[in-house]
Amino acid sequence: MSTTVSLLLSIPLLFGFAGLSLLLPTTGVLAHFDLPRRWRVAQLAAHAAPVLTALAALAHGLQPGPQVVHVALPGAALLSEIFGAAPATLSVRGDALSLIMLALVTFVALVITRYSQRYLAGEPGQLRYLRALLIIVTAVSLLVIANHLLVLAAAWSVSSIALHQLLTFYPDRPQALVPAHKKFLMSRVADTALFAALLLLYRCFGTLELDAIASRVHQGIPDSPSLEAAGALLAVAVMLRSAQLPFHGWLIQVMETPTPVSALLHAGIVNIGGFVLIRLSDLLPHLEVAQTLLVLGGALTATLAALVMSTRVSIKVALAWSTCAQMGFMLVECGLGAFELALLHLVAHSLYKAHAFLGSGRVVQSSVAARMRPREDAASPARAFATLGFALPTVFAVDALAGGGLGSSPAGWAAGFIAALALTPLLARVRLRQSLRANTALLGAGAAALMLYLGLHAGFGLALPASAPNALGIGGVLRLLLAIGVFAASFALHTCLVAAPAGRLSQRLFPMVFAGFYLDEIFTRLTFALWPPRQLESANHPAAISATTIVRSDA
Amino acid sequence: MTSLTTDTSSTSSSVHEPKPELSQSPAVIAAMDAACARIAPAWPLDRLIAVNPYWGFVDRPIEDAAAHLSALSGTRLTMDRNWFRARIAAGEIAERHLHMALHECAPELSAEDIIAALDEAAPKARSYPTMVQWLDAERDLTREFPFAGLVMHQLSQACAAYADDAQASWSMPRDRGLYAAFRALLADDESPRLLVGVDGLGAAAKKLPEAPRASIEHALSVMKLEPTEYEDYLTALLLSILGWASAFAFVRWDARLTGRDDDAIVHLLAARLTWELLLHQRVADESQRLEWRAARREWSTRPAVERRYARVDWVLQRALELAYQDLLIPDLGRQERSSSANPSAQLVFCIDVRSEVIRRCIERGRPQLQTLGFAGFFGLPVAYQPLRGTARAQLPGLLAPSLQVVDRGERHGAAVSSASRESTVAGTVAQLARGPISTFSWVETLGLGAVASLLRDTCALADSGSDPLRRHAHAHDLRPVLVGADGTELSAERRAELAAGVLRGMSLTGGFARLVAMFGHTATCDNNPLAAGLQCGACGGQSGEVNARALAALLNEPAVREALVREGIYVPESTHFLGGVHDTTTDELRLFDLATLPRSHRSDLAELEQQLARATQQAREERAARLGLGNARRESLGARLRHRSRDWSEVRPEWGLARNAALVVAPRARTRDLDLEGRAFLHEYRAEQDTGFKVLEQIMCAPMVVAHFINMQYYASTVDNRRYGSGNKVLHNVVGGTVGVFEGAGGDLRIGLPRQSLHDGDDWVHVPQRLSVFLEAPVDAIDAVIAKHGLVRNLVDHEWLFLFAIEPGGSAIHRRTPRGWESCAGA
Repeated sequence: MSTTVSLLLSIPLLFGFAGLSLLLPTTGVLAHFDLPRRWRVAQLAAHAAPVLTALAALAHGLQPGPQVVHVALPGAALLSEIFGAAPATLSVRGDALSLIMLALVTFVALVITRYSQRYLAGEPGQLRYLRALLIIVTAVSLLVIANHLLVLAAAWSVSSIALHQLLTFYPDRPQALVPAHKKFLMSRVADTALFAALLLLYRCFGTLELDAIASRVHQGIPDSPSLEAAGALLAVAVMLRSAQLPFHGWLIQVMETPTPVSALLHAGIVNIGGFVLIRLSDLLPHLEVAQTLLVLGGALTATLAALVMSTRVSIKVALAWSTCAQMGFMLVECGLGAFELALLHLVAHSLYKAHAFLGSGRVVQSSVAARMRPREDAASPARAFATLGFALPTVFAVDALAGGGLGSSPAGWAAGFIAALALTPLLARVRLRQSLRANTALLGAGAAALMLYLGLHAGFGLALPASAPNALGIGGVLRLLLAIGVFAASFALHTCLVAAPAGRLSQRLFPMVFAGFYLDEIFTRLTFALWPPRQLESANHPAAISATTIVRSDA
Repeated sequence: MTSLTTDTSSTSSSVHEPKPELSQSPAVIAAMDAACARIAPAWPLDRLIAVNPYWGFVDRPIEDAAAHLSALSGTRLTMDRNWFRARIAAGEIAERHLHMALHECAPELSAEDIIAALDEAAPKARSYPTMVQWLDAERDLTREFPFAGLVMHQLSQACAAYADDAQASWSMPRDRGLYAAFRALLADDESPRLLVGVDGLGAAAKKLPEAPRASIEHALSVMKLEPTEYEDYLTALLLSILGWASAFAFVRWDARLTGRDDDAIVHLLAARLTWELLLHQRVADESQRLEWRAARREWSTRPAVERRYARVDWVLQRALELAYQDLLIPDLGRQERSSSANPSAQLVFCIDVRSEVIRRCIERGRPQLQTLGFAGFFGLPVAYQPLRGTARAQLPGLLAPSLQVVDRGERHGAAVSSASRESTVAGTVAQLARGPISTFSWVETLGLGAVASLLRDTCALADSGSDPLRRHAHAHDLRPVLVGADGTELSAERRAELAAGVLRGMSLTGGFARLVAMFGHTATCDNNPLAAGLQCGACGGQSGEVNARALAALLNEPAVREALVREGIYVPESTHFLGGVHDTTTDELRLFDLATLPRSHRSDLAELEQQLARATQQAREERAARLGLGNARRESLGARLRHRSRDWSEVRPEWGLARNAALVVAPRARTRDLDLEGRAFLHEYRAEQDTGFKVLEQIMCAPMVVAHFINMQYYASTVDNRRYGSGNKVLHNVVGGTVGVFEGAGGDLRIGLPRQSLHDGDDWVHVPQRLSVFLEAPVDAIDAVIAKHGLVRNLVDHEWLFLFAIEPGGSAIHRRTPRGWESCAGA
């Protein structure tokens, strides 16, 4: 067993043992092992884990050992027996993806554990909170280093069930229970789809070890309908877990739990689907149905949810819709085969969103500060499209000059196109009647941002094994056009809305967008039918009045 | 991305002024106005100051008001009996207090009755049977989506969309008012069909009158309500969405302060009533309508029932208050006390209860120092005008600003351009990161940078708690200066007049020390949506720094000093005024503008600063236990508190005004030797200097009312945190940038204080009791003020506070009761 792998494996073990120690009873001889001491155990684990990750990265850098190491573990023997995968070991991946994900998970866990201790001071149920937190971190850190799909899937389920404990942290709040139940039901559907996908994959490949599947794929993919079916099921599972429309309601409504839980959910759990797809980057490019589902669902979610986000009235709900959209974008990247961008997106979004949630109380101050600046006039549609016309070739020209690879793959074309859309509002601020200094600053900022973006793109490309097939099939072309088309249409729509905020188009669309397209209501009704919240003591109670107010997608 | 907001020119407060509508029935108008007047305003988060949330009910005795409110909304105005039982068990309420309370408010009951009643289960509080509530009562709410939830959600979201000026970048047009916006959203709303299976509501709503007042009249007549029911029914409707009603009551209050008006609260009432009508028409059948009518009839007896039940609770409440007064009155009556003749420095603090601790620590064992108490805006009716953007009021919420404080200094030009650059960069990044199309690539490009922010904030390294309007690079080079409302210089006469008024107001017209420092207060904390609630309420929920500095600068002007002599106030040349700030989370005392201090005063300052540093340490040690730092080493206490004030995960940066209980308006000598435990507001007042009792009148009409507001805000948030408090802080979700908070993802807007500000996890820290006001002034003068001001009379006569008169210079203390002045035993 290599040093890297032992260090990697020590992290879930560390969190696991810390979690187990908190399960000890709080009475009798253990009475002195009280809440502050238990917090200390959790803090210790949370502080040690990033150090272990750094050491693992160091070991990996010094001695890039084998990518996959089989570790004999008692539990693994049983698993192998059931699924017949020899040898009787648990296999762990010591590659760059594992390290990047572990760095992310342990860092976010550290931030959240530190934040939670003061934030929850005086709240009942802190021990329950800590246990669930540690179980989640254990499961997720095992998930990101697992080589066996079954281990990965099981860890995913465990994290989801432990998360349920946190989502129902206030069991007396019916408004917390309904979305938690909704999420629980959806996650179990996702589990079913995922395990069905695994079964089909096992029938195709005879193994669920990721490295074995990858090598089979490289030898030539079996052209089998059950493989496509497995891919479709996998895509459905990932989309359910990533809160894609119309299965997004729970993500929007689970604000009924302390802020750090939201941060954990948005930074470390909802994005696991994206990670799983990146893990399957050898296989996914061969699954036509799955890729098409991801690009279609992801692109629609990204654009529609982002539009809904711009109408939200409260900070946390706006952040949740933003996550929904960002996850959609990440899935589009996966569906187009831009796995290095998807990984960059996953990591960057996690960090950004964790910080945004934890610091969401600062929005009052920033809103006051915003009053000091004059409102910007909207760019006219003509100006916006002209700017885009300038930005598009610029992006690809700069990329070509810098020796980047955007032009060489279809995913790169889409990424470059969307980057140009993102640069447009910045560049549209360049105006003739402005000072030269201001215009230079804008152009400089645009150039710097573009270089940074391309650099990050290239950097994350190094972290992942080159995999995507270069042959662009008809499906790939269609998906590319689909993605570009959806984002272009959304850009055009938004440009028109900005130009005439009080116009007829805006007035007609607003109520529907504000209501979140009424997509979630049906799931709310279904949740009420399948798993209603407990009976309320009195309908008269204010808790009852607000009980279900938020059980709608447009909360 | 550029903002999609439609309405950029006008603020929401001035958008919708009431318009006269045709043929309104006087009964409807009267009931509508009365219902709206029952709702107290709730200030937005960026100027979160306290108000008595029962303000609309002070026109009646508190027990009647409580019974009526209970019947309308189901609230209770006293703690539950378990809590009182614990107070009795802990000896905080003794038997004699029960006897005194019984004697005072329920002579027909005995102490045994009260003790026996402690074990009675409280009858279920029920609210007024509105249509929504009444229909839900007949449904199986575990399987069916409640109408109440549907209505609350639809209304609350419409209100938020209307009030939001900061969060959403795409909002609906609000130029036609809230009611039109509500109708536009309801017209296409599919959720009633999808959630509760009720169809055609939107179409039905379209047929209703477009004007809100006409719509109210229409609904009342269609549903065939009796005119006698109007007021209670409409009030109950507003109370069912109290958060938003209070927010719009504020918009109206704010508009009326400056001679304008706003009708959003009427629009809200119309919208809520529209839901009643729609359910009445589309859901209820004929027999249900008749039953509803009967339920409303039956309701009219409910206040009397509530009143009867609550008798015991009010005896317990009164006993609790008597127990406190019983301890305080003998202390205040005592006559032998230390004095501080010829002080070396005088330090003026806000009347805030938090000043009591630091003042006591400053004066303890230091007879050369004298402190005074005065409203923390220092009598300056100002708005602070930042370098850019709109001005911000820095005075009590009862008043409208008539002057401005602006930043001046040599580096003014550089400050303006650097502030403008900083805010443009911040704004651009925020807009790109949030834009619906640009967000994706920008998150990929800049998101990794959050590692640095997360590390910085996790280690509490950022100084994020400072005033967002005064956070630019040159903030330290500028000085706040008092100018006229339009930014022009004030005339010499006006300056002198202001200065004289302020000095008289604080009874500081002679015996000036060499250094006189004005300490405003602030509360450094981070990531706290309710931070303004910890700031100086007298400064409109802001730091009092600019007021204190502007006043000190004014009083140092030679021309003002000269003019003051003509007003009969001689300030010696050897006196120098300083502006400072007391940071209530860390107890630091900071002084400003020391560069202007004459060389002759340097050693005085050095000595004062040393003494203040020691007082700071003492105050920290006193507060440490309650902040959970009881075991911290003394030397590390300062660092611990500073860390805490910058910690983004801190939900209890300090205890604010929790435990407030009394207001003492008297010379400091009266309280100087007393430990008032940070529970008393202290206002300097010398009756003998107050010709015509003008200052007394001012104090009773302003600081006393403000102290009562704060007292009742804490009171209401404690006795009914669900309705009058903002619930659990860890669930807070800021609405509209500064509009307010939701608890969780939605529901009503929440008003008042969060549980964390009142409760330490084990027990309530705040003790809900009405304010005991002690005025060291002649009873006749007090009576004259009460006779003149109906508002003050309401508070006193209806027992929303207790008023005591201390014989000036003497030891007798009398309480004003409905039966007249009564001597307090033990004095």
